[in-house]
Amino acid sequence: MPGRDEHAERIAETAREALAKSIRGLAAYHMNACVKCGLCAESCHIYQAEPEPANHPGVKAGKVISHYRRYHTFLGKYFPRLVGARDLTADALDELVDTVYGRCTACGRCGLHCSIGLDVGAIMWAARNVLASVGKVPEGLQRTVDNQLETGNQMAIPQDELESTAEWLSEDLRLEMGDDDVKVPIDARGARVLYLVNPREVKFFPLSLMAAAGVFHAAGESWTMSSKFYDVTNYGFYSGDDPSARELTRRVIDEAEALGVEEIILSECGHGYRAFRWEGPNWIEREYPLPMRSVLELLEEYIEGGRIKVDPEKNTDRVTLHDPCNLVRWGGITEPQRRVLKRVVKDFVEMTPNRKDNYCCGGGGGMLSMSEYGERRVASGRIKADQIRATGAKIVATPCHNCADQLIELSRKYQLGVEIQAVIELVYSALV
Amino acid sequence: MLIPVKLFVALSLLWAVAALGVQVLAAWGGGREDYSSRAGSSARGIAYSFTVAMTPRHKESVSRHPVKFAVGVVMHIGVMLSLLAAVLLVVWPTAGSAALSHGRPLIATSLVAGLYLLVRRTLSRDLREMSAPDDYIAIVATCGLLVLACVYTGDAGSETVYLIYAGLLFAYLPLGKLRHAVFFFVARANHGRRLGRRGVYPPATVRTA
Repeated sequence: MPGRDEHAERIAETAREALAKSIRGLAAYHMNACVKCGLCAESCHIYQAEPEPANHPGVKAGKVISHYRRYHTFLGKYFPRLVGARDLTADALDELVDTVYGRCTACGRCGLHCSIGLDVGAIMWAARNVLASVGKVPEGLQRTVDNQLETGNQMAIPQDELESTAEWLSEDLRLEMGDDDVKVPIDARGARVLYLVNPREVKFFPLSLMAAAGVFHAAGESWTMSSKFYDVTNYGFYSGDDPSARELTRRVIDEAEALGVEEIILSECGHGYRAFRWEGPNWIEREYPLPMRSVLELLEEYIEGGRIKVDPEKNTDRVTLHDPCNLVRWGGITEPQRRVLKRVVKDFVEMTPNRKDNYCCGGGGGMLSMSEYGERRVASGRIKADQIRATGAKIVATPCHNCADQLIELSRKYQLGVEIQAVIELVYSALV
Repeated sequence: MLIPVKLFVALSLLWAVAALGVQVLAAWGGGREDYSSRAGSSARGIAYSFTVAMTPRHKESVSRHPVKFAVGVVMHIGVMLSLLAAVLLVVWPTAGSAALSHGRPLIATSLVAGLYLLVRRTLSRDLREMSAPDDYIAIVATCGLLVLACVYTGDAGSETVYLIYAGLLFAYLPLGKLRHAVFFFVARANHGRRLGRRGVYPPATVRTA
């Protein structure tokens, strides 16, 4: 049986190998470019909430870079103290967990505003890859990944619960829309669209799923959900566990092919969009066999193409929009939600700053599933709360259920008195 | 005496270029294939990254810290001019001497800027936390070049000292943080390329604080 030291060394060795692999062609560029000017500090919502060195993006990135230097630079190998290079040991890995998962949502804002143009997010994802390779993912986040792998969805919702939810939602919709044909279809082969949702929609926010079903019906869309793989989230992405992220992606693509759909539509989920749309093809190392879009793009198409009729007079309260980092800054979906909201609400007002320059709500990077960082997460949302308050809005629309959870908590904590809604819910309310 | 010194500068420069080239290749490591279908243009993303994205309106590190940023820019201009002058002294001595004598006011200003950055790094709690000896060495080493550029008289002695120092600086360039001279371009291009492909850069409409 190996001794404790031997075991620790084996972990460190695995981590070093993972580091070498994960930095190639991306993070390594950025790890060599940081000049530690420190001008990125205020770009980080966590630093703004708690301005201590441990929360400074430069310090956080520097901790990861110190290990890179130790094994991948000449001075780091032979004169480590000179360049602040540190051994990647089992203890150092434990220290990294707090920095990488607990003090950074990898929102990418500091990178956009960096004087050099450093992609700090890429550095943090490389570190998450390393930590995941040696089983150092925080427990709550790992449990969510395990749930997804074992049950097909992150909340471990049994299949019969999905089916019964779909059934009562269909009944409610039939009553509300006065149309006996409306329903939430499950495993409908040959439908045009496979719709992926956040399991939170099934469990806690059924109105969002109901709104989607109502809008699809109004648009005459041919759509379905899968009973097995309907989850738009990918917690393997958050944890940095690429093999799990790959498996979760592969299942959905295989399911889409098995159902014979023409297109995959991703419901409102920031990281889900980024993971499936941008990272997924690289995890499975092939192009997708069918197109994939955000439901926001589809909603815009419905409205612009006249497939649904909407009346902004049906949403008269002031509405503002929160931009999820992974959808906007990392996903490029910036304008469709704005064009849609301007058509379905009477009084739309932007937060400042917005779009790619938005602040993370604090719930990104898997923070919501890591209870040990709960206090820090809510504290880091203060800047978002201030932004919301300044708009005077009564409703905050956000195309992300993860952000929605955090914003609901922020509204309570900072007494904002706002309601949080998905964009599709506002579209549904505006249907005529 | 000057010929061996000039040879030393040339070899140091060659070493710097070769070592930095190898480092960029090592960081690339064969690259990564991107299988996602593009939503925008990588080339436009890179162009935006090196232009509009660097303007104060679009970069908080500049808009929130205009003085610190300007100081950094001034320092870099002086260092680049001094290094260029060293190369010119090897290949075209008259131009090298002229660059140093005409550029002296700018180089002196750069020296003040460099000293400010050194003091700032020493006094700032956050910067001290993230700094290693190499971060201080890099500033001191470049300020040293600026000092020599300021006191350069054009006689053989001062030219020899200047060239030996510049040669040593070229030799150090790929080893420590000074390698950002190349990786700045690599990192910014990489970031711009990724964001361009995703349609984030250039943004359709831009709103900043």
